[in-house]
Amino acid sequence: MILHINHVQPGRAESTSGVVSTLLSLLEAGDIDPNTLGHLNVHIDWVQYKSNFREPVSIRRVLKDEELLPLADIAVDLRQLQPEMLRKSLSEALNGAGPDALDTPRRHYLEAFTPMRSSVIWTFNSIFWKYLPIWEAASGKGYEKALPGGHSDGHNIQAIQESILEFWEMLQKIEKQNLLPPEIFILEIGVGTGERACRWLDGFKELDREKGTQYYPKLRFLAADYSVATLHRVMESLHNHRDLSTFVEVDAVNPFKSLSHLRYKVMLITLSNVYDNLPTDELVLRDGKLFFIEVRAYVPATEVTRICEKYRIALDRFETSVQRLLELGPECFESLDQGMGFWQELWAAVRLEERLVSAHNLSEAHLPTGLKPSHIEGLIENAPANIRFQLSSGATESFINTIPLLHPRGVLQVQDIFVEKLTDYLHGFRGPGKMDGSIVNWVNGALLDVVGAQSGYDVHFAPFRYRKGSKTSVLYTTQRE
Amino acid sequence: MSLPLLPTSVVGSYSMPGWLERMKTDYVLRRVSRLELDEIHDTAVKAAIKDQEVAGVDIITDGELRRDNMIDYFAERLPGVQIDRASKKFYYDFYDSVVRGKMPMSGLGLAADYKFLAANTERAPKFNVTGPHSLVKRIRNEYYKTEEEFATDLARIMNFELKELVRAGVKYLQIDEPYYSGFPEDLPWGVRVLNTLVDGVDARITLHICYGNRYGKPTWAGNYRYLFPTILDAKVHQLSLEFARRGGEDLDLFKEFSGRFEIGVGVIDVKDHEVESPDLVAERIRKAAEFVPVERMFVLPDCGCLHLPQAIAFSKLRSMVRGAQIVRDELKGKK
Repeated sequence: MILHINHVQPGRAESTSGVVSTLLSLLEAGDIDPNTLGHLNVHIDWVQYKSNFREPVSIRRVLKDEELLPLADIAVDLRQLQPEMLRKSLSEALNGAGPDALDTPRRHYLEAFTPMRSSVIWTFNSIFWKYLPIWEAASGKGYEKALPGGHSDGHNIQAIQESILEFWEMLQKIEKQNLLPPEIFILEIGVGTGERACRWLDGFKELDREKGTQYYPKLRFLAADYSVATLHRVMESLHNHRDLSTFVEVDAVNPFKSLSHLRYKVMLITLSNVYDNLPTDELVLRDGKLFFIEVRAYVPATEVTRICEKYRIALDRFETSVQRLLELGPECFESLDQGMGFWQELWAAVRLEERLVSAHNLSEAHLPTGLKPSHIEGLIENAPANIRFQLSSGATESFINTIPLLHPRGVLQVQDIFVEKLTDYLHGFRGPGKMDGSIVNWVNGALLDVVGAQSGYDVHFAPFRYRKGSKTSVLYTTQRE
Repeated sequence: MSLPLLPTSVVGSYSMPGWLERMKTDYVLRRVSRLELDEIHDTAVKAAIKDQEVAGVDIITDGELRRDNMIDYFAERLPGVQIDRASKKFYYDFYDSVVRGKMPMSGLGLAADYKFLAANTERAPKFNVTGPHSLVKRIRNEYYKTEEEFATDLARIMNFELKELVRAGVKYLQIDEPYYSGFPEDLPWGVRVLNTLVDGVDARITLHICYGNRYGKPTWAGNYRYLFPTILDAKVHQLSLEFARRGGEDLDLFKEFSGRFEIGVGVIDVKDHEVESPDLVAERIRKAAEFVPVERMFVLPDCGCLHLPQAIAFSKLRSMVRGAQIVRDELKGKK
């Protein structure tokens, strides 16, 4: 058995050692098949997100060519683990590790095993954004209240002011070379409420006036979002800058599709808290061998019974009700209260079962469009032999499909939660977690660094220093020479 | 060798296969020997020549497949340039190179690569060199007082090499100066050193000026107005310029300053993987013909095809050749 301790939470050393002693005790009592133990990896995590998709103890089985291997992972979340339940949870998980273990009837599966990026949890994520006002009304608080600090770092005034000054200085340098384009395009993807955009444009206009430059009238601001409803809201926020603003519906994963006419023309592209909410896959290296993670979402059977009883839904209508919710939204229930209650409690109960699927080589991986096996090879060339990391499929694809919009002197700035070095994955759990009704994942910045380098951009990360304790960092690009 | 009306050519580089990139990087990391890499280069160059011939291009190159990039191929050979071999991990990166004293006069030994090209084709071969202005922007100068002084010495050394190339049989020679577009303020001295470079060189000389193609994307933006009138002093026969990606917006400049040069008109966007149809190419040539007499027009891609996948690069060249033929046929019909 190999024990992986990914994080030690202060004051939890005892429960960490308790996992080991309980495992040994189960072995001594003959409750563990010694053959299983020989192929076992035990991962002790501290899951950052209070609300997530994990059981306190879960088993991950390993497949190769459709056959179960004796190799297995046990994942322990010390944060959720109740000491009195440890022995029972470990025993149950280990009993599920054997090759003969069957699907448990105590789980109601919402899908068959699938790559994580295509799991049904992303449909839940989509309906959250689609019905955000209804969710916010039902929960009695705006989405941003769920964020750490209670508001978006994207709106931070000091950060916006510095961004304005840096941009103005860049324009000055370009103008001195007589290379200033007649139109200065700025793009914000995932424009949200429009608050950040409004503050930025107000501030830039003021600075332009103070300095006596004539950049503001040349600005062409593109407010981009996948939600038309959001864009309508932003139109109101930007009423003072309507003459230079355009509102564009874009797919965050492929902005180039809608904006290809602006290839190499945009001087500044910003995204805040977009990448962490895009679908992702995960890869695992075990002793240098590569595995893909597949998941299937489920709801514990006890929770299914409880939720159905509470919302007066027949048990045999549970699956249909879930499908209707995902397709038609909460308004298709008898009442909106019933629909919202069902949705919120169902979402809280959704878990992910995981398995590792052996890959012969990277060409079999579900790589995001535009990501080449050589990118991953570059990333894992010097990686530890045992590591699990995110592909950040949506974020990577978005990055690849955004940089062709950049003017040769342009800059991409992304404010998000980044894993800056691959080895950082050894020191903690990086998602997915639940943020209200949406999903949150850290973003594999180390991979974006490799992708950027091969596309002609150096990728840098700067800490977001405007809010104490913030885990946000700012990715920005410079042209690679 | 006679050329048709609207001769077609490539700018220089051809598609770099992924396997060759890995081999080149392995050489940089000392996993592959120089001898092995040279053999691989010979094979890859022959394949690039064949592709250009099959596509029907009139004036061809060796695809510049022996070069890591447009700087290091020369920096490694220039006398007095010190290279830090440990400074790059990926073949396409630039070496950290520096000049710490006056550069001595010496040959670069480029003729062997030209001879290999000429021996393997019956088409008209062209040889490209990076111009002194672009080289001084990438080779660190710790000796000369000014960039112009440094570039002038470089030009003198390379002038000797160009004459060696002519002795080896070169008839079509191209000077690449993409950095002009990033530093338009340098153009007056840039043209002076260019003239030092080509002084007494008996070949058809093309000056290629684009907006950069590093990593398959432009390095600079702007328009060609900055070239005029200074560029009119350049002692070259042809200007090769990019118009396909940029939409031909400043083609009118060449009506204004017509007659001084032949114009190599970029009709293939090498930064876009979508293959132009021959009809679109023909349309671009017709548009250019409104400003440039067809008798003085050459048909080219905007820049090198280095970053395009082989199949796309080949298809684009074939479209270029077919597009040129469409216009030739139309012109024949009018006579």
